[in-house]
Amino acid sequence: MNDHLERRRFLKACVAAGLGFADPLSHVNGATVDQGQELPTYEGPYYIVFNASGGWDTTYLMDPKGVGGINRLYQEGEIQSHGQHRFAPTAESKEGGISNEDFYKEFGSELLVFNGLDYSVNNHAPCSRYMATGKLDSLAYPTFAALVAACKGQACPLSFLTFGNYSATGNLVAMSRVPYLPSLRRIANADSISGNLQSPYHDDFALRRIEQAMEQRFASRADKPLLPRQRRADNMLYAAQVNSKALSRVTPHLPTEIPKQRLAKQAEIALASFKAGICVSANLSIGQFDSHANNDRDQMKLIPELLEGIAYLLRRAEELQIREKIVVIAQSEMGRTPAYNSGHGKDHWSIGSMMFLGPGVQGDRVIGRTDEKQFAVPFNAERLVPDAVGGIRIRPEHLHQSLRELAGIVDHPHSAAFPLGIKNTERLIGLWGV
Amino acid sequence: MCLTAKSVLGLWCSVWALWVPFCGTVQGQAGNSDSCFVANARFISEVWSKVGAVDCLKCHRQGGDAEDSRFVLHALGLESSKQQQSIHAKNLKAFQRMAAEKVNGQSLLLQKVVGGLSHGGEKVVEANSTSFKLLKTFVERRHDIETSQLSVPTPSVSPSSVSPSSVPQELVSEPFFTDVILLNPKRLLRKATLSLAGRLPSPAEQAAVVEGRLDSIEPILLQLMTEDAFYVRLRESFNDIFLTHGVDGNPDSTVLSYEHFEKTRLWYQDYDLSHIEDEKERRQAGYQIAGDYRAALLEEPMRLVEYIVRQNRPMTEIVTADYIMVSPYTSRGYGVFDEVKDQFKDPENPFEFIPLRLGALKGRGQKEDQDSESGFYPHAGVLSTFQYLSRYPTTETNRNRLRARMYYQHFLGVDVLELATRVSDAAAVSEKYETPTMEAPECVVCHTTLDPVAGLFQDYWRFDRNFAIYGKRHEGWFDDMFQAGFEGEELPEADRWRALQWLGERTAKDPRFAIVMAEHAYYLLTGRRPLLAPSDLDDPLFEAKFRAWKTLRCQTESVARGLVQGGFDFKRAIVTWVLSDFYRADAFSIADASPVRLAELDDVGVVRMLSPEQLERKISAVFGRSWGQLNGQTAMLYGGIDSKEVTERASDPGGAMGAIQRTLSNDVACRNVAYDFSRSRGDRILFPNLDPDVLPGVDQKSDALIRSTIAHLHWRILGRDDAVDSDAVAQTFDLFSAVIADASLVKNLDQREAWTCRQGLESPVPDPNYTVRSWRAVVTYLLRQEGFLYE
Repeated sequence: MNDHLERRRFLKACVAAGLGFADPLSHVNGATVDQGQELPTYEGPYYIVFNASGGWDTTYLMDPKGVGGINRLYQEGEIQSHGQHRFAPTAESKEGGISNEDFYKEFGSELLVFNGLDYSVNNHAPCSRYMATGKLDSLAYPTFAALVAACKGQACPLSFLTFGNYSATGNLVAMSRVPYLPSLRRIANADSISGNLQSPYHDDFALRRIEQAMEQRFASRADKPLLPRQRRADNMLYAAQVNSKALSRVTPHLPTEIPKQRLAKQAEIALASFKAGICVSANLSIGQFDSHANNDRDQMKLIPELLEGIAYLLRRAEELQIREKIVVIAQSEMGRTPAYNSGHGKDHWSIGSMMFLGPGVQGDRVIGRTDEKQFAVPFNAERLVPDAVGGIRIRPEHLHQSLRELAGIVDHPHSAAFPLGIKNTERLIGLWGV
Repeated sequence: MCLTAKSVLGLWCSVWALWVPFCGTVQGQAGNSDSCFVANARFISEVWSKVGAVDCLKCHRQGGDAEDSRFVLHALGLESSKQQQSIHAKNLKAFQRMAAEKVNGQSLLLQKVVGGLSHGGEKVVEANSTSFKLLKTFVERRHDIETSQLSVPTPSVSPSSVSPSSVPQELVSEPFFTDVILLNPKRLLRKATLSLAGRLPSPAEQAAVVEGRLDSIEPILLQLMTEDAFYVRLRESFNDIFLTHGVDGNPDSTVLSYEHFEKTRLWYQDYDLSHIEDEKERRQAGYQIAGDYRAALLEEPMRLVEYIVRQNRPMTEIVTADYIMVSPYTSRGYGVFDEVKDQFKDPENPFEFIPLRLGALKGRGQKEDQDSESGFYPHAGVLSTFQYLSRYPTTETNRNRLRARMYYQHFLGVDVLELATRVSDAAAVSEKYETPTMEAPECVVCHTTLDPVAGLFQDYWRFDRNFAIYGKRHEGWFDDMFQAGFEGEELPEADRWRALQWLGERTAKDPRFAIVMAEHAYYLLTGRRPLLAPSDLDDPLFEAKFRAWKTLRCQTESVARGLVQGGFDFKRAIVTWVLSDFYRADAFSIADASPVRLAELDDVGVVRMLSPEQLERKISAVFGRSWGQLNGQTAMLYGGIDSKEVTERASDPGGAMGAIQRTLSNDVACRNVAYDFSRSRGDRILFPNLDPDVLPGVDQKSDALIRSTIAHLHWRILGRDDAVDSDAVAQTFDLFSAVIADASLVKNLDQREAWTCRQGLESPVPDPNYTVRSWRAVVTYLLRQEGFLYE
């Protein structure tokens, strides 16, 4: 059977079944149907969210202070700069990873920073949910990574990859956890014995008949009344099995050697999946930022490790020739207090920052501000300037609205189903600068 | 952890609402579960359930911040229907009184609720919100609502301007399950035996089920809950909830502390294996012992749950048991093996568990000795196990608040961080107060409840590298926290040494405990937690979602009530759920249902993707032998959990899981089809009445035999009772025939099964007509279906 026709029949069946998406291809921006392959490839942009899980200390990265006892490792006069960026010096104090100095030198011109983000609360669970979804008081909202995957590539087999952190999908798209590189190899050729293409379980004609029977059965059930959960299960199951065939495209892009760093391992899986055209977004995460006990020691290990992970991803993306399609978002669920506690740690702080980089993002810019005590300065959203008198507090939903705009999914039905409630006057117009 | 959100008021109120019952009685049969709403008049359904219980009750109740105000409400527990009516009547009177009072010509109630007139709780609802409109309508029409009307169903008070679908569905529509097709007893039996015991029903069990008689299943369920397989499932499910398998590090060090067990916890290092001559073999045996020992240590809390259920002990022992479970290996770790070894049937079995009352801990130094007036460790079920305390550790900053949070979640069903609403400036609150958790109203509202429970864990304070777990804080407990206690009751100093027992005793009596145990039983059966109440009153589907939540909530309360009345027999709770319409819901009878109806049914039906463990058991049950591949990394890829980083099972398959499903169906079919044919007919599972030489399209008899075999496979693999002349059987028949027809067109095909698929046969199985491989295609096709992969 013509693969394209098979694909079309599948989509028709999906439509008949009332799948969450009316026609996946209509939302696969940039997806093309390759006649030589069974499923369309998603060709970007690819969205990758780095989570500094536990709460990073922004004053040791993109929002330096060096005053009022906020930082013990440097003073205000030692603050570094690169272009419009000001950042904390870490070259001398870091343990492993890469320093702020090196990171900004390499990526500062592409980097957009937002400072003075108000998380509104300061507990891990609600903050993680809020930062991931833009909605504080709902368990139903999808994360941005899941939403963009659903809008742009719902039919991709690994549309939304996650390696941790809050990963709700809003029932829009399946979440894939692929924590180990070797496991991707193992499952890539599911119809062959031990993954060996020379040893298929079934002869081609038999396998084709099985697929046809599955498709017919799926289509026939589409006409039957089912409970909503049954309908969802039918759709998800059928799509997962059909789409899984595209996993074989991943293996050529897997590295021969598995990197040792935590984020690099996750990045390799995400990049191979991007390159194979089977993934839209990935949620990468490293933990232990919750530095209540010894803030400076912990943050000086973890911030450099995070930056090293981002750098690794971007460099490898360059090698894979998809660098210009990668959108990077770096975030954490909270900041750390201006003051140290009695154990040399810092506790939870509801003000923080985010970093962005990639196509559609004009770099070398810092938007938003905190004052010398690390409080958020109210912000004029329309003019993109701090406005202590008439400004508003910029919260995760404002930045999520902007992310939806960046991804071009604001008007997508999936986005509409999960409104963020941002007034027009509060939209961060021009945030992306391009 | 510090809860500083101003509007955690809303959080707590929402949380509180979760245990406010709405049902006087609940029936488990189809079509009449709405009867519990007979008592719900418009006050209950509109004002109380949507505003009072959600926004007012936390503070305006005895023990709440506003207990001294003139507006005190009453929470509902698991009272009888009559008692609940009485409580509702009191609440209605309180609302009416406040609604009648005016200040400056305006309703006091309506001014207070939006933060006016110095309302202590500040703004509780927005002025133009639906909640406010409901209250406004109530104020305007309060004279129409009399207490005496509480027991009479009446139309909703909410006008169309208030709620898009304003008339409560339960007052006007069909019973909730009216268009839902329920499993018949035969299929229900199969579903339950597979789910609870990982096996198919025996012929005797099938014969005992009387068609149309649900009660004929009950004794079978009770019997199968005596089987070991049920307890594997029970432990698995409760670990999904408690996650005690996720203790960090080697449990011989992180469960058993250096401070108290340094001489015994590493017993395996000195265990005499000298009888094993080969060094490599001896080393491997040592590894095996250490591995089993650590696994057994991790299992102890779940073995406690097993013991309680297996011995028909009250489930309250999960927080009150004055013992732990130990095995021959773990008792060595505690240093008590010699005392108890005679109680084991097999003292060398690392996984045989018996109850043990542990002596009070003795430290390396006297000051590390445990206070104990009884001379024993003050056990409080799972709560006081080292595993639970180690899984949810504390820090100098956290001050046991994580433990308090998990306690509320696991044993009272309250997730304090589940829903939070924003505060205008949380950072400013932190800065403004020296001790925000005791001074800032935004923080106090939660910490006044959470921190006393944290204080009850105060003597389990050690979190240093020696993992002592038990130990007092050298500086004494924090005085900038609300002091130890529970829900307004202070811990007497005399009970400090047994603080967790003191907590367990109160927990067992709390109506929320019964509710959460009913919810845990629901989780065991469905793999998900019960619906949360919808909160968006402006959602066009609010009424539908609310009805769905209420109906399930009624069933939950019914199960909880049964638990209380039946001495907390957890097996009974499972039986009640299994026989309920929620578990039996199997299909829908309406082709073009309205969005409202679909929203009502959105979460109905188990429809659970089987976990890796369940799937392995199902393969064993259906094929008589396991696949053995859904473990380790593959299990994680297939949505499993490690109880540490990954703690939620995947509910939907993605592409990676789809690939595993394909591999599974290919490989299980490969291993079993030719093998089944190679056995004598009497031993066959899949093809007991047919040999590979039967071809389709030859004569009616052959086709009939093939169709009946397909129907048999549909039942065995999918649990579907398809007739031989059904469309479903015809589809499978077509596949079988088409593969054979295609094969006949291919020249030089091997006349044997694929090499891999003909290994281990009991007798040769030639395949000259490609029938064996065609049956393999059929089995592959069936294994890929939701009927096999889902529950």
